[in-house]
Amino acid sequence: MSSILVSLRRMKAIFIARNLEYLRDRASFGWNLVFPVLIVFALAVVFSGPPRALFVVTAIGTEALPEMVNFPGIEMVSDQEEKALDRLSRQQTDLVLKIVDGSVGYWVNGNSASGAILELLLKYTEDRPLQREETDGAAIRYVDWVVPGILGMNMMYSALWGVGYVIVRYRQSGYLRRLKATPLTKLEFLSAQVLSRLLVTLTASAIVFVGTNLMLDYKMVGSIILLLITALIGGLAMITLGLAIACRTESKEFADGLLNAITFPMLLLSDVWFSLDGSPEWVQMIAQVLPLTHVLEAARAVMLDDAGFTDIAPNLGLLCGFCAVGMGISVRLFRW
Amino acid sequence: MIDVVLSISGLGKSYDDVTAVDGLDFEIFKGQCFGLLGPNGAGKTTTLGLLEGMEEPTRGSVRYFGKPFPADYQDRIGIQFQATALQDFLSPFDNLKLFSSFYNDSIPMDQLVEQFRLNDFLHRDTRRLSGGQRQRLLLALALVHNPEIIFLDEPTTGLDPRSRREVWDIVSELKADGRTLILTTHYMEEAEALCDELLILSHGKTLLQGAPKKLIKEAGVSDLDTLFLSLTGETLVKTQEVIE
Repeated sequence: MSSILVSLRRMKAIFIARNLEYLRDRASFGWNLVFPVLIVFALAVVFSGPPRALFVVTAIGTEALPEMVNFPGIEMVSDQEEKALDRLSRQQTDLVLKIVDGSVGYWVNGNSASGAILELLLKYTEDRPLQREETDGAAIRYVDWVVPGILGMNMMYSALWGVGYVIVRYRQSGYLRRLKATPLTKLEFLSAQVLSRLLVTLTASAIVFVGTNLMLDYKMVGSIILLLITALIGGLAMITLGLAIACRTESKEFADGLLNAITFPMLLLSDVWFSLDGSPEWVQMIAQVLPLTHVLEAARAVMLDDAGFTDIAPNLGLLCGFCAVGMGISVRLFRW
Repeated sequence: MIDVVLSISGLGKSYDDVTAVDGLDFEIFKGQCFGLLGPNGAGKTTTLGLLEGMEEPTRGSVRYFGKPFPADYQDRIGIQFQATALQDFLSPFDNLKLFSSFYNDSIPMDQLVEQFRLNDFLHRDTRRLSGGQRQRLLLALALVHNPEIIFLDEPTTGLDPRSRREVWDIVSELKADGRTLILTTHYMEEAEALCDELLILSHGKTLLQGAPKKLIKEAGVSDLDTLFLSLTGETLVKTQEVIE
């Protein structure tokens, strides 16, 4: 038999063996089929609907709104006055409307060209008396918006894979069994993993934060201490989530699938790359149960709006809740 | 009177429909080198796991000096597993330091390095150690806290003759030091050379127990492999065959 045929025979044997191994690892096999389908459905849902509008008008209340809001190319959203004006000052909305005693009150941002065009349209189409108020504020640049998202995403990957995947690898290689044969307790082992990864995550985030700010000069108007507290609690929440995933998982491939199942929704729904304003309410509700959403909400509030502790306390409280649940599950269910 | 360190009574372990260990009864005395001998799948490693407290028995018991395992049992024993992974990128030095830190009292690092002849590769990445070097490091890690009982699961499997001889020398030194040693092996020469008492296992059950020379003499055979063959029709692996 020629050497090529021998080589092909060996390749065929390895090919069949690897396929059998893959097919018999049902968890990984199932996941490889299900995950792409989930991604396609998720993207279809999030990006479905009509094309994006040219202008965004925010109404405070919904009664007797001007005819202008029904024009094509104008997207209407409702919000509370304080939030609407915050968005206007960042040029995330172009005009704010409020109907008071038969007259139409409106706010425009003096620095916004879109606001000026809408104001003209409003004057041209509205018969009722108009009351004008003006705010100012520069538009949030995309870099200002996306930097907290990228830092948060980096933290998420570092925490989830650095703890979750590594512990499963330790288990699969027998290293955890070796540690079990020592007086080291589960809590000691898990706490050490958390602290080690927290140090790595915070240091890496700090380096990226300072380094990119020197190059891009993005917006950072709030307290650096509050931002650090946000990163600390957010990092802990992610790490304990990684621990909870790893506490019983024995296959690296399955752990990989599970970690993707956790990270992908956060990547998509936690405002990492773009805002979910205007997406269906149920999508926004799902986003609220994802820890990264709260990390980014708090970080952006501090960095872009100079938010104080009380402003971000609800986000931090929820993240503390994630930490408690994740650590509780890990300590209770962890298997060497 | 010699102290009984471990007394094993009616010990059994099953996994779903597989019985790995089936009703073992024996005692291990202080200072003894006790060998569990048998082919692959005989139940040696599972029995060892039960004696180490790493596995829970399905039935029967293991008693330490006549009592259930004390809370600090892990402090009193040292284990060298059959296959142990270590953390990537750590050197023997880092590992000795790490494992020493788990115990209140540990042997000074210099003493361990000398005893297990680790000096030549003390700061090398453990992934780059030879089989014999790795085995010596694993032995050192098992003994870092000066334990009363030492468990060795097939300590020379896969080693070349020189490395095997080095491990034998270390085990002999530990024996001379009066330690209680429990080891598994499927090499007859190793069992004959190192063990004071042997428990020969087949399919999780005791086939024979006694001192190696006594077992051979009473059976009127030339070696343990012939004895095992006459009892079961199976053959144990001869060390030389494995090496070759």
